[in-house]
Amino acid sequence: MSRARHRSGSFLGSLFRWVFLIALLLYFVVPQLAMIRFSFQAIPMALLGKDNLFDKWSLDSLTTAMARPEFLAAAKISVLIAILTTLLLLVLLIPVAVIVEIRAPKLKPWVTAATLLPWVVPPIALVVGVASTFRTLFPAFLASNLSMVPFYALWSLPFTYRALDAGLRAINAKTLFEAGINLGASPATVVRKVLLPNLSAAVIASAGLTISMVLGEFAFASLLLKQTLPVYLANMQTTDGRGGMALALVVMALTALVLHLVVRLLQRRGVEFTAAGV
Amino acid sequence: MSSVDLIGVRKTFGSSVALESLDLSIASGELVCLLGPSGCGKTTALRILAGFEYADSGRVLVEGADITGTPPQKRGFGMVFQDYSLFPNMTARQNVEFGLSVRRVGAAARRETSERLLEVTRLTEHADKYPHQMSGGQKQRVALARALATEPRVLLLDEPLSALDAKVRDSLRVEIRRIQQETGVTTLFVTHDQHEAMAVADRVGVMQFGKLVQIDPPQRLYSQPATPFVAQFVGTVNTVPARRVDGGWQVLGAPATVAAMDGADLPAATDVVIRPEQLQLSPTGAGTPGTISTISFLGALTRIAVQTSGTEGAGSVELLADVLASQAVGLAAGDRVTVSVRPDAGPVVATSSDS
Repeated sequence: MSRARHRSGSFLGSLFRWVFLIALLLYFVVPQLAMIRFSFQAIPMALLGKDNLFDKWSLDSLTTAMARPEFLAAAKISVLIAILTTLLLLVLLIPVAVIVEIRAPKLKPWVTAATLLPWVVPPIALVVGVASTFRTLFPAFLASNLSMVPFYALWSLPFTYRALDAGLRAINAKTLFEAGINLGASPATVVRKVLLPNLSAAVIASAGLTISMVLGEFAFASLLLKQTLPVYLANMQTTDGRGGMALALVVMALTALVLHLVVRLLQRRGVEFTAAGV
Repeated sequence: MSSVDLIGVRKTFGSSVALESLDLSIASGELVCLLGPSGCGKTTALRILAGFEYADSGRVLVEGADITGTPPQKRGFGMVFQDYSLFPNMTARQNVEFGLSVRRVGAAARRETSERLLEVTRLTEHADKYPHQMSGGQKQRVALARALATEPRVLLLDEPLSALDAKVRDSLRVEIRRIQQETGVTTLFVTHDQHEAMAVADRVGVMQFGKLVQIDPPQRLYSQPATPFVAQFVGTVNTVPARRVDGGWQVLGAPATVAAMDGADLPAATDVVIRPEQLQLSPTGAGTPGTISTISFLGALTRIAVQTSGTEGAGSVELLADVLASQAVGLAAGDRVTVSVRPDAGPVVATSSDS
């Protein structure tokens, strides 16, 4: 009797799981399928239906959109900002994370809390505050597209720091450091020859997350009137909805590809995702 | 080879005292084990010697030279860590050569040293493996070879066997001792495992609450413990009352020789600690009667637990006696026996004195 009840309970649980998973899948996949049809079928949206599912598929909307010089300019800006943001973050955070882990573990709760602050302050408040300060002190700063780099570095801080921190803990950095020092190496040598090579998984994870975030961020760039790729895509929706949607799909696929490559790279290095902080 | 002296070393972490005025001398070429329960201060002592922690007060001397403030990379020590701490991005050979490469030793000399040490630690065929491709025992042997490669003045072993399974632990313990004796390196070995300490050390220091309670050769530590804590921590003991009768001592209802732990005068009545192998069982005669409760086969010896009917001055207690397996044949749980101290067992040790 109790076994029968147990069996029916487990069946209901399994059914619920499948229903939930299918609902979740539909929630994500259906809008994207709709985006694909809208972007790549040369049929007015009002006429899209099941009868013309296989008619008039074309990449024209995408090729036309990609041929525009504004698109290339926006893409270049975004890629440059993504690379500089990643470099800035790693240069700033690796020494901080290493020092906190090895020399000043008591500071860890404070540093962890500080790295979360960017998510506590809304982008609009951050932009208004920084913009009003810099417009007075260094008006040229905000004129440059590269002024986005510190904003994005700040905004990516929570991901990047956590990935590095988890990486340091996973390799037991403190003991490795002590082992290296004990063998006569200077602290700088231990960091260069032992810690950094073993942190590569965490560094790759941090870089992948930062690049993905920068390539998709809209609010900061829009508020600071920068023509980054997401801003360009959003603006394009108003003039060429089909082309804008096609480009958005490509950017989404590229971002997914970057994350996939990060995961593959980490797997090839035999690193668990938790060890890389992902 | 270098002698080591820790003089009046004290270390606190916040309000907790990790080491309370530790005095420890290790002779050149000697292997000393620090033994004690978790939190007794043994690892703190080792880390202060390594230079990873600095003492609040006191001095650390090597060959008479004060190295109290010397940074760890300048001390010329080798250390083996509990969790191996091999560099994951380097092969076994590269790990062994690391200390030499930072000292700018030439490639040929590095190679020669690593080959020799990999052979000594029986790792030649694993030289090009990365740590994740090796077993725990192999990793710890690489760590030992790496620590020895720089010909350290002092070798520090921080619970090097505790992450290994029993069989590997036993064989590596023997290897560590062999290599230490071959190289003659002065060694401090920290462990919480009494068998490990007794098996490898020239002298064993027992620590409790940040203090070195006793430091002696293993046999002396076992047979003449300085405190009840040492007696109980090093091996198994039975604690029973003893009283003075007509100038002699009565223990378990029979005559026995009693010695004071610290050589001081003894009161008329005291508790004594008796090792299981100091007890004998007989069907009748002088001693304390009891009933066998369990019999455990230990190999050459058999451990027999006897529930006494009541020793002198105490109620019923359980006594553990180790007898030769051949003498235990025919005994069974529930048998009535008499327990007494073997006449050839030497003195049993009193836990209290008049001083």
